[in-house]
Amino acid sequence: MQDSSNASIPLRQIGRADAKVSILGYGGHHLGDAPDEKTAVRLIQEAVDSGITFYDNCWEYRRGKTELWMGAGLKGRRDKVFLMTKTCPHGRDANLALQMLDESLRRLQTDHLDLWQVHGMAFDNDPELFIRPNGAAEALTKAKKDGKARFVGFTGHQNPMVHLGMLKTGFPFDSVQMPLNPFDHGFIRSFERQVLPELNRRGIAALGMKPLSGHGEPIKSGALTAEEALRYAMSLPVATTITGIDSLDVLHQNLRIARNFKPMTAAEMDELRNRCKPYAADGRYEIYKMSLRFDNPESRLAHGFPLDTRQSEVRDMLGSSENTGHPFPERRF
Amino acid sequence: MDSNEPELSRRKFLQGAAIMGASPLIPSRALSASDAVPPQGPEGVVPKKSLGRTGVQVSALGLGGYHLGSVSSDQSAIEIVAKALDHGIDFFDNAWEYHDGLSEERLGRALKGKRQNAFLMTKVCTHGRDKKVAMRMLEESLRRLQTDHLDLWQIHEVIYENDPEMIFAPGGAAEALLDAKKQGKVRFVGFTGHKDPEIHLRMLDHDFPFDTVQMPLNCFDATFRSFEARVLPEATRRGIAVLGMKSLGGSGEMVRHGGITAQQGLRYAMSLPVATTISGIDSMEVLDQNLAVATNFQPFTAAELKELRDQCRQFAADGRYELFKMTTKYDGKVGREQHHFPTAEELPL
Repeated sequence: MQDSSNASIPLRQIGRADAKVSILGYGGHHLGDAPDEKTAVRLIQEAVDSGITFYDNCWEYRRGKTELWMGAGLKGRRDKVFLMTKTCPHGRDANLALQMLDESLRRLQTDHLDLWQVHGMAFDNDPELFIRPNGAAEALTKAKKDGKARFVGFTGHQNPMVHLGMLKTGFPFDSVQMPLNPFDHGFIRSFERQVLPELNRRGIAALGMKPLSGHGEPIKSGALTAEEALRYAMSLPVATTITGIDSLDVLHQNLRIARNFKPMTAAEMDELRNRCKPYAADGRYEIYKMSLRFDNPESRLAHGFPLDTRQSEVRDMLGSSENTGHPFPERRF
Repeated sequence: MDSNEPELSRRKFLQGAAIMGASPLIPSRALSASDAVPPQGPEGVVPKKSLGRTGVQVSALGLGGYHLGSVSSDQSAIEIVAKALDHGIDFFDNAWEYHDGLSEERLGRALKGKRQNAFLMTKVCTHGRDKKVAMRMLEESLRRLQTDHLDLWQIHEVIYENDPEMIFAPGGAAEALLDAKKQGKVRFVGFTGHKDPEIHLRMLDHDFPFDTVQMPLNCFDATFRSFEARVLPEATRRGIAVLGMKSLGGSGEMVRHGGITAQQGLRYAMSLPVATTISGIDSMEVLDQNLAVATNFQPFTAAELKELRDQCRQFAADGRYELFKMTTKYDGKVGREQHHFPTAEELPL
């Protein structure tokens, strides 16, 4: 494809909010896979300067490393971006959520977030725990009132029914984040078919994630190309599509796709869905719905599930308590 | 329901016999079960229950085959099976894929000379492949189990969303069940799974003549993605025998962390309207513990059942002690391979 490197990335309205964001969002988790802070800072700076305005992060990613690195990268560029991070009470009290907010603000070197979301709604009782007295819902309301967060929302990758349960609480969410890709469409538990229309109906901003299924598994196996996958996700009625970027190569590839973006026609989307359907039916490319692989240790501990030592967050967590005298994060505030 | 059960069972048995044809290979379990094993030792024997509409009776406690492969030695496994038989346990569970065949081999050796005293079940592990694969597995299971027929042959681990579709595809595993029955190699057929009541209900929607269906039944399941609330009544309505499993969470999670005793957990599962409760037993201690519950079996009252459900409700709500529903921990190797999922080493949970 021809690279129109001078073109800018299209912007879209974010729900009912008086704000616009780039159709491509920078996923914060993969920033932690950059080899060092210097590289991460360069990635963020180049992304901002290239017109990506939506930045995703989370209090529990890589035990704070990704927020620290993103904060360093956004220094002097904060007013150019729409900054989101997530809080991780996982059913625990509002107070804990607010403590995490203050820590996120410190790490991100800012006094406010554009969007603050409750992270990782995964378990059937998460909506109930969220809306209970002294639950995280109260923290969202308070953060908005205190001017620490302009907008609020929630995220999750497991189960559309849990998302619908969150909406049924009646809380006034500004945004909802969820996996959106052609495999999701072909699977029995589909966010695109079961949640996205409901958000559009309510005027809540939909944020897509995992356009490449999390770690690009179907791209590696040749089921579809990265460009097809990203174009598909960006063609849906969403405000932005958040995708992980851990290297300049990936950044440049995604910038090229976003700058040249032309929405797929309905027929093109159907063609891609049909092509992915044989691989969609058992969830093999949606491990985040089929296992706890993508559910972080904070979530597992709060809900009483075992940890998985193959998970990067768990390795970081175990590594940080080895009494080396150098606990992560090395740089303290 | 209990009052007219004997008559019903007898009538259904005669029907069943007519459908099966009087294959000389198949001993009449219903008759041999009526002269039950005499009481031995202080514990007495495990009571019998009707297996749906098959006319057969089986012990209310079944011996789980997976754990037989976890027992420290062949000899200990053989001793566990012998003692179980002595105390009236005649329902034996297994699967082609358990411990790469070791579980079936051990059970085959343990039942040598005692085959006629057992109601022998194993499972076929096509995981979406065709009936030729199923029939090859059946032959292998029969060889390992040292028998010429199974009392029950079930499709194992129906847990992926597209499993029902593949099982009922032309030339799929469902056809193998019918063929095996026709050939007299199996008396009854069913399916099993530990993941999602929806998938079980979709299997039942096919109106296939299943004799049995196996599912997790325990006091945590009762209020979470519940097989007890959703599948048990539907199977019962259809006259399909229900086989309970994972009464303590699969590996005792509910006892170690969930605030119940093994006795409470087993008693809860056995008090449900099931034909048997299959329990993994990997040592004499566990066998004795379970026999103590089963031989003196007193069902919980409705009020007691409710009390235990309510006690477990809070921690049932996120599935933390039902890892088989919420994680990949209990999903077998062969199924993962066939569905292109990572191995247990790569994706433990």
